[in-house]
Amino acid sequence: MAISDYLTALDDEHLVALLRRRPDLASPSPVTLASLAARATSRSSLERALASVDAAVLQAVEAVVALAPDGPPSRERVVAAITGPSAGDGGTGSSPAPTLALPAAPGDGGAAPLGAATDASFVGRAVDEAIGLALVWPDDEGLHAAPGLAEILGPYPAGLAPAPTETRLTAPAGTAPTGASPAATAPAGTTPSGAIASLAAGPAPVVVPGDLPADERAVLDALTWGPPVGLVPAAGNAALPVVGRLLDAGLLVRGGARQVVLPRAVALALRDGRTHRAAARPPAPDWPVRRPDVVAAESASAAERLVRLVVRLVTAWGEEPPSALRAGGLGVRDLRALAHALDIEEAEAAFVVELASTAGLVADDGEERPSFAPTEDADAWLRRDLPARWAHLAAGWLTSERTPWLVGTRDERGSAHGALEPDLHRRWVPRVRAAVLDVLATAPAGAAPPLDDVLAVLRWRTPRNVPPSGAVTALLREAELLGVTGAGALSPAGRASPIDPSAAADALAASLPTPVDEVLLQGDLTGIVPGRPGDRLAALLDRTAVVESRGGALTVRFTPESVRAALDAGATADELLAELTAVARSGVPQPLRYLVRDTARRHGVLRAGVALAYLRADDAALLAGLPDDPRLAGLGLRLLAPTVLVAAVPPVELVTALRGRGLAPVMEGPDGLVVHAPAVRRRTRPRPQREEQPPDDEARLTALVARLRRAEAEASRDGAHEGGPSTVGGSGAGAASGRWGAGQEGLGRATGRGPGRSTGASRPVAARTGHAADAARGSEAPAGSPGPSSAARPAPDAPSGTADPAAALLLLREAAAERSLVWVDVVGGRGVLERRLLRPVSVDGGRLRAIDPAREAELVVAVHRIAGAERAS
Amino acid sequence: MTDGPLIVQSDKTLLLEVDHPKAGDARRAIAPFAELERAPEHIHTYRLTPLGLWNARAAGHDAEQVVDTLLEFSRYPVPHALLVDVAETMGRYGRLQLVNDPAHGLVLHALDRAVLAEVMRSKRTAGLLGARIDEADVLVHPSERGHLKQVLVKLGWPAEDLAGYVDGEKHPIELAQDGWHLRPYQEQAIDGFFHGGSGVVVLPCGAGKTLVGAGAMARSSTTTLILVTNTVSARQWRDELIRRTSLTPEEIGEYSGSRKEIRPVTIATYQVLTVKRKGEYPHLELLDARDWGLIVYDEVHLLPAPVFRMTADLQARRRLGLTATLVREDGREDEVFSLIGPKRFDAPWKDIESQGYIAPAVCTEVRLTLPDHDRMTYAMADPDERYRLAATAAGKHKVVDRIVKQHPGEPTLVIGQYLDQLHELAEHLDAPLITGETTERERERLYAAFREGTVPTLVVSKVANFSIDLPEASVAVQVSGSFGSRQEEAQRLGRIMRPKGDGRTAHFYAIVARDTVDQDFAAHRQRFLAEQGYAYTIVDAEDLGGAA
Repeated sequence: MAISDYLTALDDEHLVALLRRRPDLASPSPVTLASLAARATSRSSLERALASVDAAVLQAVEAVVALAPDGPPSRERVVAAITGPSAGDGGTGSSPAPTLALPAAPGDGGAAPLGAATDASFVGRAVDEAIGLALVWPDDEGLHAAPGLAEILGPYPAGLAPAPTETRLTAPAGTAPTGASPAATAPAGTTPSGAIASLAAGPAPVVVPGDLPADERAVLDALTWGPPVGLVPAAGNAALPVVGRLLDAGLLVRGGARQVVLPRAVALALRDGRTHRAAARPPAPDWPVRRPDVVAAESASAAERLVRLVVRLVTAWGEEPPSALRAGGLGVRDLRALAHALDIEEAEAAFVVELASTAGLVADDGEERPSFAPTEDADAWLRRDLPARWAHLAAGWLTSERTPWLVGTRDERGSAHGALEPDLHRRWVPRVRAAVLDVLATAPAGAAPPLDDVLAVLRWRTPRNVPPSGAVTALLREAELLGVTGAGALSPAGRASPIDPSAAADALAASLPTPVDEVLLQGDLTGIVPGRPGDRLAALLDRTAVVESRGGALTVRFTPESVRAALDAGATADELLAELTAVARSGVPQPLRYLVRDTARRHGVLRAGVALAYLRADDAALLAGLPDDPRLAGLGLRLLAPTVLVAAVPPVELVTALRGRGLAPVMEGPDGLVVHAPAVRRRTRPRPQREEQPPDDEARLTALVARLRRAEAEASRDGAHEGGPSTVGGSGAGAASGRWGAGQEGLGRATGRGPGRSTGASRPVAARTGHAADAARGSEAPAGSPGPSSAARPAPDAPSGTADPAAALLLLREAAAERSLVWVDVVGGRGVLERRLLRPVSVDGGRLRAIDPAREAELVVAVHRIAGAERAS
Repeated sequence: MTDGPLIVQSDKTLLLEVDHPKAGDARRAIAPFAELERAPEHIHTYRLTPLGLWNARAAGHDAEQVVDTLLEFSRYPVPHALLVDVAETMGRYGRLQLVNDPAHGLVLHALDRAVLAEVMRSKRTAGLLGARIDEADVLVHPSERGHLKQVLVKLGWPAEDLAGYVDGEKHPIELAQDGWHLRPYQEQAIDGFFHGGSGVVVLPCGAGKTLVGAGAMARSSTTTLILVTNTVSARQWRDELIRRTSLTPEEIGEYSGSRKEIRPVTIATYQVLTVKRKGEYPHLELLDARDWGLIVYDEVHLLPAPVFRMTADLQARRRLGLTATLVREDGREDEVFSLIGPKRFDAPWKDIESQGYIAPAVCTEVRLTLPDHDRMTYAMADPDERYRLAATAAGKHKVVDRIVKQHPGEPTLVIGQYLDQLHELAEHLDAPLITGETTERERERLYAAFREGTVPTLVVSKVANFSIDLPEASVAVQVSGSFGSRQEEAQRLGRIMRPKGDGRTAHFYAIVARDTVDQDFAAHRQRFLAEQGYAYTIVDAEDLGGAA
């Protein structure tokens, strides 16, 4: 009979039960029973089924597989193999009962008779369960493991070596088995002692001497319960002869060059015929139990705290959203800042961030430079009451696949995981979370199992699929932070959460202490709410005081800063005191009244506002008429003081308008002195990179001249280096185009004529161009210098260049866009001005990236080192 | 949920609602292990600290009692983690014991060997511990007894000092209780101290700490070294001892800058002990000059650091610390715990006041609005100068005037920090001035005249902060202080808190310049007293005494 026959023969009821237990068999729907059988014996389906069984069922399956070499075991044989022979009243199905137990059998020596009897029925049910899952199927011969199971369970099911493939032959007496192939069964004659333990663990009886020397016994003991493979000791090791004797006796066989194997039959004999040392039992919970009110109170205060943290997170990020890293996720510094702002550990901050994200309250805003900001849902969430907010967070947490506890740990490349990083998704998290919560949910009410016990239960429930202890620890901690547990026990709200969020909210509401609407204000400027403050009271205190301690009660302290913040938010001293009086059970003490009044008295003494120009006059009467003058209505005039008016238009416009009105205003500079500006004339910049300078700025001109002289001196020095003034009287046009730029040929030629005459020659040209700055340069620069030197190296501060930083940057950006060449004056490391011909690539983040064609190198220059730039024509 | 008077916060503060019917029971129950942090009018705040819990252990309370007390009086469920923490913290005390082994001498004995191993591995105990005798015992160099206790407190494993004390040289001292008796709380304080061996007694100023010292000396009946803050205080101790005990002037010596007498009872100043010449303390030999059986530290919250170091070497002698407040501006409370000893007695000021042993006091903060001119000067001043400017504002003179006039016939002290200001005030009020420069003889003469009533008003500098005994002074006006010192404020209030013959209320005024750092410092200074239940009334200087 095959498993397909078995499945075919199953009645509908059992078949339905099977499909319910192994849902993967039913979806997608199998076409035939044969294909169902094929799917049921596929490796993936078997793995999945095994992953879900508890330790007892797994033992049953292992026992069936382990006993299979001796023929399909009966149900009783399997039960006996797990519980031990003493319980094996039905374990004698096809084999003789054990005659003698080994006195020094390792292990726990079998359970007590009573325990063994209950074990037997327990294990029996486990076998039935295995059958129900079709991991094991029965027929007339006995129990069969589903095909493929043996491979999944590995080479040593239940720690037993595989049965020899050859037929079970008894080796001739006295011959030592040398190879690994035949089963080593030592005949009784080789043992000197009469104390013999023999057990029919199959057709081949095995006899193990009862009085083996201790060292030999120790070697066997080490291998008895598997794995059955040991390393051959190195030469010279005291254990080597021991192993040798055991090999000679056939109690071990060689399993390769360096290995010995405890033969299956020997192991079974040593094990008293058992496949397992003891029947697996669910851990008996002996857990501390918390009082229900303690659980409710602690979970409620945790829930309240967590919601408060998330609210603060949403508020903080709403004001200043942290930017998202390029790889996604939140930067370490932003997390640290958040932890600091919320006054919690970074690990907890990571949890809060992830929780808010899971609940859809914050998200990557998807902008070009992405940052994490509160979502629109957050506003709706903020409007709800505490229990509803919490239930929303808890619902998000229950299905979350995120692993915040990994934040800060390093991945295989050594980089630290950040919060909100896409990498922190793990598909298994919800399953493990459900398993952990189920441990708590199935425990007696109020039980607070320690971590190790939770792990023990999980190990029992799904031994083939034990969650990592780190994850279990973290999830338990998260549950506590969230208030799903309180003092380690599942809270009413936590119990309801997975079923129904609104029921969870109700349960939390029931756990929260009744809100108190009174505060006791005291002379030392503290206030105490002897319970949980109601929403309005909480909001009032939040606005006006700083929290000193939370818990059963709320303690706050009023400080000048906190009161000022309340005033900043628009309250007046009277309103504030009235509000406080309304909630203060014993009145507002005098020091607090003084604090509020004193703070209010100082509040707003200094006022700031926006104006574009001011108008002042000693004649108050003159000023008083202006704001109401209909002809000046567009100026936004406002009287600040009897002698000061402000305007909403720039000074130039103001002055023009007033002049138009027939008044005689003058403008004053920052120093209060009158600026004698002629009539204001509009100008536009001829070229953006040019300096725009008022023509009459004496100091500026002086400085310019000085700079020009320095530059000339430098140029002449360079010229000397290059072999003298080669261009003097020479190729004037060439020199001109390089030196002065395309628009200045006339001037260029003038200078090209050489030193002595340059001054006189340049002046008319400069005058013709009408450019005062150029005229100044033209008239002064060459005068004191030996003359321009090189066409290829124009001196710094040539007129088409610019030293104005903003204009220089603009020029560089344009050049980068056009890929054109620019002369750039760079202040070198030792403060020396250096002029280089560069092709800018980009100007970004305070740096110029450019290519130096002469050196064929790319260089990066900090913008603040650039003294000027000039287009190279 | 019970209707208890106590709310236990998760940050380990306990809030006690004082108007609750069970508040008294609750306070008595938590007093041994919780430290009173604030005692304003409605809700008193206590705090559970490791030191407080260890103090309780030292006094024989165990964690179970503490937990039961919290559960009994708490209104809301007590945070579970806090209970666990209480049990763990208390469990740390006394796992190590300092004992006298008959064979080996001073030995650190471990009830928990793992703790001993941990402590021995610590770098901090290097050099303090000697050879290991067996699994549970390690030799301790007798000279390191104090250092070791300090280190163990820092490591979180405070040792129980069971090594006992040297008996010291016997010297008969008796209290001469003729016409007066020790007050009940003084008896309790002496009992608490003697039972515990060494430790600190905390009593308000004016509550008779000197008598507690005298009582302890009588109980000990040994030669005694008394360490006090200054010479005036030394003289007052001597006078009080002569008056209250069987001691004669010949038996009491003064060891100060001016005199170096060593007698069966010797009173020394901290200052002379901490004089340092060529890197050495020349007067340390005083500590070994006799076989002292008791050492009394007056004003233990002022104990200078070198005296801590010396005290570390005096662990075999009984030590009594006296103070009005354990608040130390330098935060070295744990050194007081490990070197002098745990707190053995404490009574809230208001309790003693309600029993009539100290005068009831009314504290008033007078806010003076500076004239515009002064405000301008203040605003332009260097930040370092601002406090002095604000504190010495000229307008304060008039305020003092008015206050003095409001209390005609009452002995009044005007206390300040800045000498210029005090000189001006003395001139202004036509009152004598006592500063550090005043000679001892002149000081004593003026104090005597003040006591007799011939001098109604005294202007004093900070020399009068401590231990001057002016029982009839009932008005104190503080015009300036040393920045934000809380204990100074308490000490100054203490000057006027001796109970008055006619049961008068004492008045304490602090004059503060409004909207300046003076006001900020004043707020800080007042915190201790506000926490002790002294509510300051604020008055505008303009509203003060319409008569003036």
